[in-house]
Amino acid sequence: MERAKQTQPDDQLVQDMFAVAEHRDQVALTRLFDHYVPKIRAFCLAAQPGANLMADDIAQEVMIRIWRKAHTYKPEAASLNTWVFTLARNARIDYFRKNSRHQTNIDPDYLFQSIVDENADPFKDAQHQRDQERIKDGLDKLPQDQKQVLYKVYLEGKTHKEAAEELSLPLGTIKSRVRLALHKLTIYIKR
Amino acid sequence: MLNHHPSIEMLTDYAAGSLALAYSLSVSTHLEHCSECQQHVRKLEVLGANLFTQTAPENQSLSFLKQSFFEKLTEEEQDRTSETLAENKQKSVKNWFDDYKIPASLRQFVPNNYDELSWMKLSPSVKIATLCDEDGIQVSLTRIKAGAHIPTHTHAGEEITLVLEGAFSDEKGVYGRGDFVSRNASHKHKPMVTKDAECICLTVLDAPIEFTGWLTRFFNPIMRRYHPQTQ
Ligand SMILES: [Zn+2]
Repeated sequence: MERAKQTQPDDQLVQDMFAVAEHRDQVALTRLFDHYVPKIRAFCLAAQPGANLMADDIAQEVMIRIWRKAHTYKPEAASLNTWVFTLARNARIDYFRKNSRHQTNIDPDYLFQSIVDENADPFKDAQHQRDQERIKDGLDKLPQDQKQVLYKVYLEGKTHKEAAEELSLPLGTIKSRVRLALHKLTIYIKR
Repeated sequence: MLNHHPSIEMLTDYAAGSLALAYSLSVSTHLEHCSECQQHVRKLEVLGANLFTQTAPENQSLSFLKQSFFEKLTEEEQDRTSETLAENKQKSVKNWFDDYKIPASLRQFVPNNYDELSWMKLSPSVKIATLCDEDGIQVSLTRIKAGAHIPTHTHAGEEITLVLEGAFSDEKGVYGRGDFVSRNASHKHKPMVTKDAECICLTVLDAPIEFTGWLTRFFNPIMRRYHPQTQ
């Protein structure tokens, strides 16, 4: 009973995660490194172009966290990509904080904790699976101007306000582009 | 069901990691009470993951980085103590729900209970404790006695108030545990704490030096003499 979904390359990576969690398998960790480190570096360089040393530091930090926290990863609660994205996001925030781009004594480790752990409901898991597919498919179909703003917010780490300034557009335009995009992706319907 | 939530823009910036940490702290605390916003954030993180995995692959060789990573990993493995420390930290975050009402996101500042903070008395019915600062954005807790009135006032900056315990009301409604209230200069208030219990709020002010927040503006003369201290 081979399904199309099971042949995705990501399945190998999930297996590698288990190998890391259960057997401290460094060969599996190497495969995760090869897959994710270029993405983590690109993610960091989007926020700070040319900062290769920073990108290396953060990528290493994320890989260390993957190594240490592999046993906490639950595939039914989040896809591996989402899990690694949240690790990369948090590591990037932490790096900026410690290197005083933002002067603060708030520890980001406390701010994103509860979300990933929050799940044990099979109905919600199935729902979440559908959401994931919808978001993935919908993203490719978004108009360029909406994608551009999402790119700025997520990858360049800009707030809505900063994105508006950089694109020389009114904040309202940025907000409505994001809202339109989120609506199409069925992330946000009404409020 | 809560009625007062962060805006979708704020949730998006939070999930993307671009929101200032002072605001992230208030969003995170709200999320502990609000499954609706949790769902939004989960989906917003999936969106982030999709954008993240679409980042252009680089052609650069990573063999040097890989080698240095595995050397670092070996060192880390030998240094068991740091790992244990990290795990203890996780544990204390996870267990909060059983023993305390302190939200997990605030336990970095309030490890055990609200009483351990250094509260400053502003009036017989109002106390305030500063938690932290980020780029001039000030985060503090305000503790107001049951039934206490807060004088009418306006304010200049933007202010977020998150109700941690108790409830307060103004012309627009009643705000209870977990409610996320965002106010700006255009609002005029007559907030009052409900009579049944004291109210503890987390407040985030973007203009802390003048204390222009709707809750604390009238304390300005006192607050200016007070030097915020970090725990
Ligand atoms: Zn909410």
